[in-house]
Amino acid sequence: MTQLPITRRSALAGLAAATALPDLSFAQGAPKTGGTPKSGGTLKISHPTRVASLNVLQISGPAEYLAVDMLYSGLTRMGPDMRAQPDLALEWSADADAKSFVFKLKPNVTFHDGKPFTAEDVVATIKTIQDPKSASPARTVLSMIGDVAAVDPLTVKFTLTSSYADLPISLAHANARIVSAETLKGPLTALDTKANGTGPFKQESFDSARMLKLVKNPAYHQPGKPYLDAVEMHLFPDLAAETQNYLSGAVDAMLEVQQADFKRISTAPGSVGVRTPSGRFVNVVMRQDQKPFDDVRVRRAMAMAIDRPTLVDIILEGYGRPAGDNVISPGYRYLLETTAPKYDPAAAKKLLAEAGYPNGLKIPLICSNRPAIRSQVGIAIKEMAKPAGFDIDVQTMPHDTYLANVWMKGQFYIGYWGMQSTEDQAFTLLFTTDAAFADTAWNSKEFDALVAKGRATIDDAERRKIYAEAQALMVRDVPSVIPFFQDVLTANRSYVKNWGGHPLARYFFVENVWLDKA
Amino acid sequence: MRDLLRHPTGLAGAVLLALIAVMTILGPLIAPYDPQQFHPLSRLQGPSAAYWLGTDQFGRDIFSRILNGARSTILFGLGATMAGVAAGGAIGLIAGAIGGAVDSLIMRLLDGLLAVPDLLFTLLIVTVLGGGSGHAMLAVAIAFMPGLARIARSTVLSVRTREFVLAAQARGESPAYVIACEIMPNTIAPIIVEATIRVSFAIMLGATLGFLGLGAQPPSTEWGLMIAEARQYMFRNPICVAAPGVAIALAALGFNLLGDALRDLTDPRGRR
Amino acid sequence: MSAAYLLRRLAAILIVLLIVSLTVFSITQILPGNAAVMILGEYATPAQLQALELKLGLDQPWYVQYWRWFSGMLSGDWGVSMRLSQPVAALIGEAFWRSAALALASLATVTLIAIPLGILAALKRGTIVDLVIGLFAYIGTAVPEFVTATLLLVFLAGPDRGFLPAGGFAPLSEGVGAALSHVVLPAATLSLILTAHIARQVRSEMSDVLSSDYIRAARLKGLSERSVVLRHALRNAMAPAVAVISLDIGYLLGGILVVEEVFAWPGLGRLIIYALQNRDLPVIQAATLVLAFAYALSNLVSDIVIAWLDPRVRYA
Repeated sequence: MTQLPITRRSALAGLAAATALPDLSFAQGAPKTGGTPKSGGTLKISHPTRVASLNVLQISGPAEYLAVDMLYSGLTRMGPDMRAQPDLALEWSADADAKSFVFKLKPNVTFHDGKPFTAEDVVATIKTIQDPKSASPARTVLSMIGDVAAVDPLTVKFTLTSSYADLPISLAHANARIVSAETLKGPLTALDTKANGTGPFKQESFDSARMLKLVKNPAYHQPGKPYLDAVEMHLFPDLAAETQNYLSGAVDAMLEVQQADFKRISTAPGSVGVRTPSGRFVNVVMRQDQKPFDDVRVRRAMAMAIDRPTLVDIILEGYGRPAGDNVISPGYRYLLETTAPKYDPAAAKKLLAEAGYPNGLKIPLICSNRPAIRSQVGIAIKEMAKPAGFDIDVQTMPHDTYLANVWMKGQFYIGYWGMQSTEDQAFTLLFTTDAAFADTAWNSKEFDALVAKGRATIDDAERRKIYAEAQALMVRDVPSVIPFFQDVLTANRSYVKNWGGHPLARYFFVENVWLDKA
Repeated sequence: MRDLLRHPTGLAGAVLLALIAVMTILGPLIAPYDPQQFHPLSRLQGPSAAYWLGTDQFGRDIFSRILNGARSTILFGLGATMAGVAAGGAIGLIAGAIGGAVDSLIMRLLDGLLAVPDLLFTLLIVTVLGGGSGHAMLAVAIAFMPGLARIARSTVLSVRTREFVLAAQARGESPAYVIACEIMPNTIAPIIVEATIRVSFAIMLGATLGFLGLGAQPPSTEWGLMIAEARQYMFRNPICVAAPGVAIALAALGFNLLGDALRDLTDPRGRR
Repeated sequence: MSAAYLLRRLAAILIVLLIVSLTVFSITQILPGNAAVMILGEYATPAQLQALELKLGLDQPWYVQYWRWFSGMLSGDWGVSMRLSQPVAALIGEAFWRSAALALASLATVTLIAIPLGILAALKRGTIVDLVIGLFAYIGTAVPEFVTATLLLVFLAGPDRGFLPAGGFAPLSEGVGAALSHVVLPAATLSLILTAHIARQVRSEMSDVLSSDYIRAARLKGLSERSVVLRHALRNAMAPAVAVISLDIGYLLGGILVVEEVFAWPGLGRLIIYALQNRDLPVIQAATLVLAFAYALSNLVSDIVIAWLDPRVRYA
């Protein structure tokens, strides 16, 4: 087997970790603030959504991602620079056509219950994820793994069914953290309330309605870390109460800050706002297997009827970037710079007339009421598209009703998605024919072929070319309108160092956080 | 009516409700702006000559939105209450007039429903129906029904043995005639009093549902929803929250005052 | 009050609970979507969904699900929360006591403030004091809880005036001061409407009593005003006041839903809202039943108190 750099960047990260031993901290996370870290103290974080479960294989809530990132480690982890870093893996290598990967594991790592971490735990975890019964969101991302086997206690070999260069990134999936083989032998529901991971913090107490308390794992696999003695996650379902609570100094950090509050919070004495550009987006789904959106001219007219910079101003309060219907945002590796359609209601109206709607188009737009940004975008689009001849009837409904009746079925509604780790994940989430959530019914053979080709391509330049073509197709066909990318906003008291700042909002590197208090 | 206006509480209530009625009927006509129109350059402004009560997060004119919202808010309260009165009144009337096993069966069922707090009952129903203003109105009406049925029934029971009813029965009138022409007219007054006070509860329940995301939905101008949407922005422009809050309070106050005055005037004891 | 009467009332409560359980169960059966959809959320695949539905027993017909649940309730096995994967009984048990603490604190506040206010207004009828109390009472009942809660948050829990926590819950184990300070704002919110309502009722009851022949006779006997009010009028006005309070407990239990949500109080109200949003049927069913039971029981208790306060009331 030849030692092959998977991508220039991931290989660099892997090598850096290997050579920089024993001081791993250099490659892991991204220390943003200077000064010598001090140990000790408790970090209190408030969050608006519940930590309903600690089941690392299943969770999907914003606060749950933070919890499992502290409790568990994976083989790899996505850094703030969007590269896969080694976590439980020491280093990895692949064969020339990226069909077989060998991962070397860190020695002397233990689970929180004191049992040693070995290759068997990796095998058991991956096999559990691949079992449909586990209902793990990581399953599709790891579907290319044909076989996984323990070569020796510290070596794991993955055999893939097709070439896949980004396996180290897939293994960094938030739901692919390593669980002990022994735990997996019992009922999986045990994972919901009890966490036994290899992460920097151990579970101390868990009251889903109120607080999750974690304490330092003294046997953490990065020496000298974590700096904090304990972390408390406090649930505040009401945003106004959460903000007041943070500003009065009762907690040290907020997991999420609303755009409307960000300026006030950033400028409050003793408080720092952390703004991270991200690829998180809202999209206007326009199903193509029915009239009127089967006609690309109608979709293009819609795209031209939206004033994107104004949308960024009034809905994101400026904390975001206009987008041009291309799901790939700056921050991904293979972005094709495209220009967003200009707001031109007159031209949109003309296009709409050409498509057979000279008197305009009356159509209901469905928005879930959670989060509020969906109906805000809906209402704004309604007003913006009016002069172009679109008579949009915004219908907002409770999120549960939306999920049951509209989502994946409706013709014209607002979606809301997080940034993905790779181009491939972004494309196969919504836009390929076999996408997990193919709600646009684009079904473009051309696009599918490009995505499949890109996935198996190892050469960086070649891949960039293929993905550029795929992105150009998206811009041409407008499978859905993606008007902007939304920044990730968090905040902390000024004595908190290294908190927040990850575009994916799924990795938090809390082991690097320390409190600069006397 | 004249008595009502001489009654200080009644006068205050009537004046408030007259104001609200004008807003409800003429609101959309006298509003200076389209309540949905964006003014992106004038977002979250305080009161000015151009925008009397300032603007919200989209730069929409709050005054125009309040004027427009009167209709959906007040009609919600009236509609929910009237539907509840119709259904509850009918059930109570039938139970009270028929009596016997039917009566006790209905009463047991009503007791069961009454044991669930109004707001929770409303939430359960509106979750089933799927939210939205119309569904929320129906849910409030259903939640009101058992209480109103009970009041109707107890009034019927007190009327049923009065001379004029007994006389009608002695004349050999049909039960339907007795219920419709003798019993019903004499049970109307206490139900009207109760209904008037319930309108204010209905308005507040509707606003609360809007706050929980299950009542009126954006871009409706319903006052409760306006508060829910504006809470995020309340530190930047407090009027966003204050204006609809005051509007709800005034409407609820109006119906409360009027209801109390009506009760004073119709209750032989003078007060309850 | 006889033992037979008490038994009959308890039996009635059981029937009420049965009706509530059937009503709630049928309501939950027609909810759009199911727990599996809500648990996996927007980002689930159909295969994931099916697997979870199977696991939760959602593929069974409704009467099988009801019987399972009903027999379970009787045997003390309230099932497992679909969303939180914890035993429902444990979840509700913990939440119940937190809500009870909040409700009792509010009730105590209301009783201590509303009754004296009402009496004062009745005694000073027609004066400025009466007017001010009356005004407060009217305005108090016209403001929804979520508005009151928002106002209290802004004015009493802000960074500049942050002497009260902006929500959250501290158990007694974290100190009496911390526990009490967290109760203040939610209890104040809940109390405001009830205080306004009850003060108004007490005022009118007390006015009735004060103008009754009985009190007039006491006055004629030459008793001091103080003794007339305290010994005779108050005692007679108390029973109706308790009756009003007991009716308002239903309102209080509803108000808990909103107040707990705003102030992050981890009680039954928040649990119910969360369960409704997530289609967590076992929790919705059991929690509604518990609330109904609490309400029915509190009505019974208040009837007993009324009988004790007012010797004329006899239950047979």
